[in-house]
Amino acid sequence: MPLEQDVLWYKRAIIYQVHVRAFCDSNGDGIGDFPGLNQKLDYLVDLGINTIWLMPFFPSPLRDDGYDIADYNSVHSSYGTLNDFREFMDSAHKRQIRVIIEMVLNHTSDQHPWFQQSRSSQENPRRDWYVWSDTDTRYHEAGINFVDTEMSNWAWDPVSKSYYWHRFFSHQPDLNYDNAAVREEVWNVMKFWLELGVDGFRLDAVPYLVEREGTNCENLPETHAVLKELRRKLDEQFPGKMLLAEANQWPAALRPYFADGNEFHMAFHFPLMPRMFMGVKLEDRKPITEILQQTPEIPPSCQWCLFLRNHDELTLEMLTKIERDYMNDSYAQDKAMRLNLGIRRRLAPLLDNDRRRIELMNGMLMSLPGTPNIYYGDEIGMGDNINLGDRNGVRTPMQWSGGWNGGFSTADPEKLYSPLIQDPVYGSPAVNVLSQKKTQHSLLNWMERLIAVRKTTAAFGSGSIEFLYPANHRILAYVRRLGEETILVVNNLSSAAQAVELDLRRYKGNILIEMFGKNIFPRVGELPYLLTLGPYYFYWFRLRKI
Amino acid sequence: MAEESSLTDDFLGQLISVGEVDLLVGVPTHNNSKTIGPIVETIQAGLLTFFPRERAAIINADGGSRDGTPGLVVSAAIGDVQRSSKMYALRTLHSISTQYASGPARGTALRTILAAAELLRAKACAVVSPESTQITTDSLAALLRPVYADTFDLVLPTYRRHRFDGVLLTNLLYPMTRALYGLRIREPYALEFAFSGRLGSQFLAQNAWQEEPARTGSEIQFTLAAIAGGYRICQTFLGTREHVERHSADLVPAMRQTVGALFSSLEPNFTLWNTKNGSEPIPTAGVEQEFTLEPLRINRKRLREMFSTGVAELESVFRAILAPSTLAELQQIAGLDEARFRYSAELWVKTVYEFAAAYHKSVISRDHIIQALAPLFRGRAFTFLMENRNGSAGNVENNVENLCLEFERMKPYLLEIWNGRE
Repeated sequence: MPLEQDVLWYKRAIIYQVHVRAFCDSNGDGIGDFPGLNQKLDYLVDLGINTIWLMPFFPSPLRDDGYDIADYNSVHSSYGTLNDFREFMDSAHKRQIRVIIEMVLNHTSDQHPWFQQSRSSQENPRRDWYVWSDTDTRYHEAGINFVDTEMSNWAWDPVSKSYYWHRFFSHQPDLNYDNAAVREEVWNVMKFWLELGVDGFRLDAVPYLVEREGTNCENLPETHAVLKELRRKLDEQFPGKMLLAEANQWPAALRPYFADGNEFHMAFHFPLMPRMFMGVKLEDRKPITEILQQTPEIPPSCQWCLFLRNHDELTLEMLTKIERDYMNDSYAQDKAMRLNLGIRRRLAPLLDNDRRRIELMNGMLMSLPGTPNIYYGDEIGMGDNINLGDRNGVRTPMQWSGGWNGGFSTADPEKLYSPLIQDPVYGSPAVNVLSQKKTQHSLLNWMERLIAVRKTTAAFGSGSIEFLYPANHRILAYVRRLGEETILVVNNLSSAAQAVELDLRRYKGNILIEMFGKNIFPRVGELPYLLTLGPYYFYWFRLRKI
Repeated sequence: MAEESSLTDDFLGQLISVGEVDLLVGVPTHNNSKTIGPIVETIQAGLLTFFPRERAAIINADGGSRDGTPGLVVSAAIGDVQRSSKMYALRTLHSISTQYASGPARGTALRTILAAAELLRAKACAVVSPESTQITTDSLAALLRPVYADTFDLVLPTYRRHRFDGVLLTNLLYPMTRALYGLRIREPYALEFAFSGRLGSQFLAQNAWQEEPARTGSEIQFTLAAIAGGYRICQTFLGTREHVERHSADLVPAMRQTVGALFSSLEPNFTLWNTKNGSEPIPTAGVEQEFTLEPLRINRKRLREMFSTGVAELESVFRAILAPSTLAELQQIAGLDEARFRYSAELWVKTVYEFAAAYHKSVISRDHIIQALAPLFRGRAFTFLMENRNGSAGNVENNVENLCLEFERMKPYLLEIWNGRE
């Protein structure tokens, strides 16, 4: 189907999240760039993904890895030019790969000309583009996101001698969305990129757009109004494009971001992610089923976006204290692994490089309701470096081969934007694309196969889910249905082999076809359906009445 | 290896679903619908509060209740516990129930719990009585912690009791067990206790479950097995133990279960106890014993009358059991009026030891020996009540301690008659 005709494409998407600077360096300056990314598109085609999510690539002082944007309408010179971007877009679309880009709406860099003008004088026309105050006591009910670095959401500006509001780092002043000119200019920015062909935006930190006294300044109706207005313009002028919300909130608080199908198309399911890790560590489905039971229905045109890991820390904000403590003790015993309210580690090290657990987690990612998001490098089991500050330890160069700089760059290693992972387990000699391509049973080849099988049915992306609750709590089992298609998923969350009896009487008469090997399993009858699963094993069955 | 074949297929299926656990709480029941619901909820709350990360299961071994007890155990809703207490459960907490084949028997219930514990590889297990309405989340933790977090193998309870509650315990079971085995275990016949997986497995494998004492006096056998095996034992204070009104007809069955089990333990453990002198305290968390003094109506007159009647009616039985001098002394005090009646500690210890020796030699039916001890115990209970009716808690404790010392002092007499006089 031509890309432009598939308006619900995001439901069938398999997203690959990549940072341009981390993926491939084409000019030997030690920094990844768009031509480098362009060269690697066929790798992504082979992997089977059909959507790329680009992290910020705009001009920026890079004090927050590009989330501090200094110019919305250009490309950071280290990553290439606008022409390079256009070429990349063309190449991606030719390969049926869509591209969504990051759009940081809530704040800019303090180096952005808008802020420089705003702070220059109280009378400047852009003064009101940011949130200024004579005191640092307003909006005191709002929480601090980066508790490890920020003491307050207000920062003193010695230039204009007043406080400005920032929900993130103090060098990231929040835009003032009460100002119509700001809203209009933000739309102009989005329009600029849409005209260049981007297929959607991942909108960063959307709960914080508007501030109101007496509230925690999150998820306010005024914020939703701003977002709905952007969506309306998007639908009118660029139909088929998509908005994805980054809102680290509880499911009930997330639901309004879908509104009546007229705000966001997709939103990340933040509370589910840590509970998947918790479920595997506890060997108990309870955390997963519990949060999905609490997840409200969303409009048919909307979709959850699921992920195991991303560029940020594994956030534990959406956990209770007891759960958070458990996660920290289980996954971040070394306190250096902890950052803010989260764990700054990659997938493979989190799971002790246990191939079975990595497969199980990816299996759940691909089969639970939503669109899966794969963080670059996790498909080959890349490691992290907790000795690098902030979240940089999970943003190291992609490991393409076991050779010079892991095949990422021809630059001197000292020139790389970040050191490569060098430990003997996760370093590029041990973990790289080239060697995994050559090894039939490598994680990379397994991931390719997993994605290929996922793509054989639309039920995973668009189907309903019904949980089965076998007495064995170590088994997470659910049925995904779409039209006539029925898929049974059975996951063993335990490190030991398990037996489970499933009540499948409503599917009596069906035979089970295992979707990877296509082997036939016994027909479903009246009696409980007995399965045995090895440690961390999972099955995907297609139910067929033949 | 345990005899898992004693478990039903349905129960086995439930155990497979539970899988390996860190903690297991066993609840033996038989028609306990009036009390069991809140008790199971307290257990759930205790596990959630103090062991939120541990894998845990509650196992109900039921002796054929007809009042819906098993259903109440299984349906005791953890959700209700969570809502009422704002607790949060990380994990699934299973409550499962099975009905064992024979009629109600605490030994069989314990065996079922032990078998489940072994199959689930439980690290620490607790047994909670279905009548323990005084149980709290703290007391459950107090039982389990020494096993789970420390290295003890058996945790026995101590209680705050009414001074006249558990007279059989204070006048026979505790002092005799202490004198014989050399350890000051206040509740050797505990209905609430905790144990390690390894102790449970060993007891399960070794115990002769088909024999009557094992089926009826398994708790004291369990304690003795721990002593004999050199396992680490401690006590923990569980708070107030409610006084339960018992009908006088309940005494003989209670003595069969406790005194009978204690007497029957002497033969297989002879080499363990025959060389012990004196006694040693064991590690105890909290107070070792507390007595409360509030008024309690006890029909003392009836106690003494039943003693005198028993001495008269069972004279021929006593001739087979007791030394002539002992019998003569009993007959002498049986004729005394209430004011002058006193069943001294020395005479009581002598009586008990002679009964134990007679039980060993089976001079008559062993069950008859236990039955015959009941009226004599009532006489001793009368004296205990009279001696302590105006005493402080400290006085009561002193009197119990003096009785214990008497049991220890006269232990050579037991050894003398054990293989001596016919």
